[in-house]
Amino acid sequence: MPLLLAGIATLVFVISRLTPADPLVSIVGERNLNNPEVVAAAKAQWGLDQSVFVQYVKYMKNLLHGDMGTSFTTRQPVTSDLLDRLPATLELVICALILGVSVGVSLGILAARHRGSIIDGIARFFALLGASLPAFWAGLVLLYVFYAQLGWLPGPGRLDTRDTPPSRITGFYTVDSLLHGDISTFGNAVRHLILPATVLGLGVVGIVTRLVRASLLDEFSLEYVRVARAMGLRERTVVNNHALRNALLPTITIVAFTFAFLITGAVLTETVFSWPGVGNYAVEASRRLDYPAIIGVTILGGIAFLLTNLVSDVAYAFADPRIRLS
Amino acid sequence: MVHRLGSFARPRVLRRVVTIGVATALVLAACGSDNKSNSSSTAAPGGTAGGGGSDKSLVIARQMDVNSLDPSRAYCDTCQIFMTAVYETLIGLDTDNKTLVPRLATSWEANDAQTEFTFHLDPKAKFADGSPVTSADVKFSWERLKGLQGAASYLVSTVQTIDTPDPETVKVTMSQPNSAFLAQVNASYLGIVNSKVAQAQGATADPATDKAETWFLSNSAGSGPFELADYTQGNELRFKRNDNYWGTKSQFPEVIIKETAEAATQRQQLEQGAVDIAMQISNDVAQGMGGSDVTVNPVPSFNYVYLALSPGAVGGDALKKAEVRQAIRLALDYDGLVNVTVGGAGKSQPSPIPNGFAGTDGLAPPKQDVNKAKDLLSQAGETNLTFDATYPTFNVYGVDFSTAMQKVQTDLKAVGIELKLNPVEISVWADKIGKDGIPVTMLYFAPDHTDSSQYVQYFGLLPGSQWQTWAKVDENKDETDLLNQAFAAKDDTSRAKLYNQLAQMMIDDQIIIPVVNPNLFLASRSDIKGMHYSACCNLDLSRLSRG
Amino acid sequence: MTAIALPSGVRVVRRRPPWLRGTSLVAVVSIGMWVIVALTLPLWSPHDPLEPIGDRLLSPNAHNWMGTDALGRDVFTRTLWGARQSLPISFVVIVSSVIVGTVVGAVSGYFGGWLDTVLMRFVDITMAFPPILLAMAITASLGPSVRNAVLAMILVWWPIYARLLRSQVVAVRQREHVESAVAIGASRWLILRRYVLPLSYTPVLVNATTDFGQVVLLTASLSFVGLGARPPSPEWGAMITEGVTNFYDWWIAAAPGVAILLVVFAFNFLGDALRDSFDVKDRGR
Repeated sequence: MPLLLAGIATLVFVISRLTPADPLVSIVGERNLNNPEVVAAAKAQWGLDQSVFVQYVKYMKNLLHGDMGTSFTTRQPVTSDLLDRLPATLELVICALILGVSVGVSLGILAARHRGSIIDGIARFFALLGASLPAFWAGLVLLYVFYAQLGWLPGPGRLDTRDTPPSRITGFYTVDSLLHGDISTFGNAVRHLILPATVLGLGVVGIVTRLVRASLLDEFSLEYVRVARAMGLRERTVVNNHALRNALLPTITIVAFTFAFLITGAVLTETVFSWPGVGNYAVEASRRLDYPAIIGVTILGGIAFLLTNLVSDVAYAFADPRIRLS
Repeated sequence: MVHRLGSFARPRVLRRVVTIGVATALVLAACGSDNKSNSSSTAAPGGTAGGGGSDKSLVIARQMDVNSLDPSRAYCDTCQIFMTAVYETLIGLDTDNKTLVPRLATSWEANDAQTEFTFHLDPKAKFADGSPVTSADVKFSWERLKGLQGAASYLVSTVQTIDTPDPETVKVTMSQPNSAFLAQVNASYLGIVNSKVAQAQGATADPATDKAETWFLSNSAGSGPFELADYTQGNELRFKRNDNYWGTKSQFPEVIIKETAEAATQRQQLEQGAVDIAMQISNDVAQGMGGSDVTVNPVPSFNYVYLALSPGAVGGDALKKAEVRQAIRLALDYDGLVNVTVGGAGKSQPSPIPNGFAGTDGLAPPKQDVNKAKDLLSQAGETNLTFDATYPTFNVYGVDFSTAMQKVQTDLKAVGIELKLNPVEISVWADKIGKDGIPVTMLYFAPDHTDSSQYVQYFGLLPGSQWQTWAKVDENKDETDLLNQAFAAKDDTSRAKLYNQLAQMMIDDQIIIPVVNPNLFLASRSDIKGMHYSACCNLDLSRLSRG
Repeated sequence: MTAIALPSGVRVVRRRPPWLRGTSLVAVVSIGMWVIVALTLPLWSPHDPLEPIGDRLLSPNAHNWMGTDALGRDVFTRTLWGARQSLPISFVVIVSSVIVGTVVGAVSGYFGGWLDTVLMRFVDITMAFPPILLAMAITASLGPSVRNAVLAMILVWWPIYARLLRSQVVAVRQREHVESAVAIGASRWLILRRYVLPLSYTPVLVNATTDFGQVVLLTASLSFVGLGARPPSPEWGAMITEGVTNFYDWWIAAAPGVAILLVVFAFNFLGDALRDSFDVKDRGR
């Protein structure tokens, strides 16, 4: 695991040095090249006038201290930028996860129980549709219909333009406003979450439906299900109370995997909905060639992926009595 | 594999029920409480400065091009709004966009030779922290502007010495006669900074020692009706009312400029009352706007978008031949460009001095002549040219640069010149043009003040002018001479004649080719009063009110 | 298809493989049509994708089925031409990734040892990133262009196939007939070629089909944020970006979006069908 983290950091370092530009420019920015103080400080911290190997060592050392450099655009340390923006992304991703998993599980059960029938076909069709939609385009379509034309839902952003966010406890506008007892801001935040979470959730639905369906069908072919049916248990009981429990073991892995997928999908969804999260930060950084920010976000993405895999392994081991008891 | 039947009955069903229940609760909470928090209701929850009540904050939607909030380094369209609101100038501009009126200075004099200017400061003038605005602050501000050599420093390039005989008198001596100085003093970039506060933060006039730029990103030290509350790049620029303001306080406790890139989103926000003013509505988006809640008013402006040729840039060698540049100028379909960019709500413009400024009378409008362009190219022996055309993606004056550049690309293809379009973020563009230069690019310009000299100083081939630097070409000595004459001119008529000659010279330089001079759409909620276009300052927040 | 002696009068019906039946057939046909369109378009294109042919921002009408864009170009034509961008790009990315991944994975899985460990660690590291972030970072570093976007996507995608191939190779290597081949002294390369690879192609095919759609999505995403195709290229993602500028003229973004949806859906569908039909476990009906 630590080797993987080191590997991630190394790969990002290599990518950042791929640029044909002078690494000094990548770290300090063209505009600051005239500022001798900034240049000297950068050279000392990142070892830019020394060999690539020394630069690499300094880079890793800085990383271990949590220093990913200073963003050109915000002039703040990248680490604090990311921490500022992380709650916004997490709030969105968790909502999308809840939405996507609940719809996906339901659709998957439906499809498995009515396997082969038209319900199965429709459920699978929608699942596939969700997985094929370009997320940014779906966001635009929904904005056009529900915001521009119908005016039912608010537009881009986490809150209405005039509202001030609740003072930060977790950074989640929904949680914070509830903690402050501010119901109207809570409602506002939830309304702004609906469209982006739906867009993100669509892809999740696709994945989860297919996996739940497949897993359930696997379970159905096993003996204990036949026994249960033979014993006269109602189909619903068989599915919900017995087969589902076992079928959903891989679902934990699935949830972790979709979490990772959501981080990816969030990048474009945040752009379309002007959501000030990590994904938006990544896109802006790529457009502006803000190398420290690009490096920071990419490393964060790698770490997030790794963490979710780790958590899913642990959760799986915990949930599956076979592994737990062995 | 043994599976146990039975006892884990509840978890799955329970989980689903809970999820659906929570979701329903959320939706209900949202629908229920949101009827009062959506749309343009009163006081924002969460509390704004001034305790809410009937004075709502003013919200403006625009795409911000902020390069810096340091008063000596800022130079951008949004910066004009910021500087005007936070750092007052000695001289203001009246609503007719022509007459100079007192602001921090109650009166001023110039000597006959236009080499010495004396300003008398208003003794009532105070900074936001309560300290009086003195001549020392004026001296500090203008010297720092000049010393840091930011993009706005050209405005004080002729300032030689600033004397402060007493706290309320400023005497400026020019290195040469400069009849445009009073107009330059009116430019928002010559706003006055609280020197004590700034110096305490490490501000100096020497770029090698100055440390204050980062402090200025979250703090301000001016005397204007607003102070900087907060700036989040890519999100918003927040002003808070200066409650210590020495003049008439603004009605708005807060002004928020919300970063909104797309004209369509700006329109949507405006129509739904989420913002009060939308600054970059394009002609296409404006179709169908209006009604009782929203007012849209197109006005002619002095802003324009232009194509710039840089012969000295990497890959621009062919542009060194005047025939090639002239061919490009003749190849463009000017009417088509005005149509494609602003749907006809604008004009073409012959020279870098915009229509309406001194010196533009009688200039022939640009005309397309494809055959002559082709002839010129074959005369020059250049028939299959390719140029890199990196340009910034920015929503400016309702003109989409990508649309405009694609039209330019089509026009140039017809004469045998190929453009490789490369849209990039404006900060990336700025880096590139500063370093390698860009053979063919596009940019925009809004006036900094009301005198034509700024256009010569920015676009003319004077040593060290912005475009002489960017285009990497030699200076045009005649222009320098003529400009000095214009500066020394004593009356408007002779000045206008000189600027007319200068305009023609800049046309002949063939470096800057204006593409469109768009009308500005003043779009606001109908309860906003005082919406305007300012020829020096973009939008003067102190002139706005609600009700 | 075994040959059985049947009583006379009984017809032998040759059944099409499952992925060519029913709804999957629709997917295959639609993919086929897109490919044909992409290949032959210059011969019969309704209009020029780069030249203005009508008034600006016309809504869909008899002459312009999906209206015109801000420059007066026909949106329907440009959408069709978009296929000539996305399909070849995806093809190049997938084929390159499969080739590189196969080589790395097969070598790694077959020869094992430290080579295996090193290569697989590298694969793990690359796969630890969300693909879009990695692709954005690489493209931004190299400079936005289609060529760099393709390169970035290949760099992001090959590890998937490397891992896939490796597990296949490891599984096959342990099979009896392979062991016997080794025992009788067959060269490693021969075994690789004749036994291992032919048995591994199935999951690769399934994955490649689904991934084709994913690459189309990724290409569009990169262009949407300005890191891929440059104007005036009629690439679908870039067209959607233009649609955002002219938001009220919904057809400008609708057409390319629907195109992406149709193409990706078809490939996803086909991939699913392939997975079902090649799947060893027999579910029965």
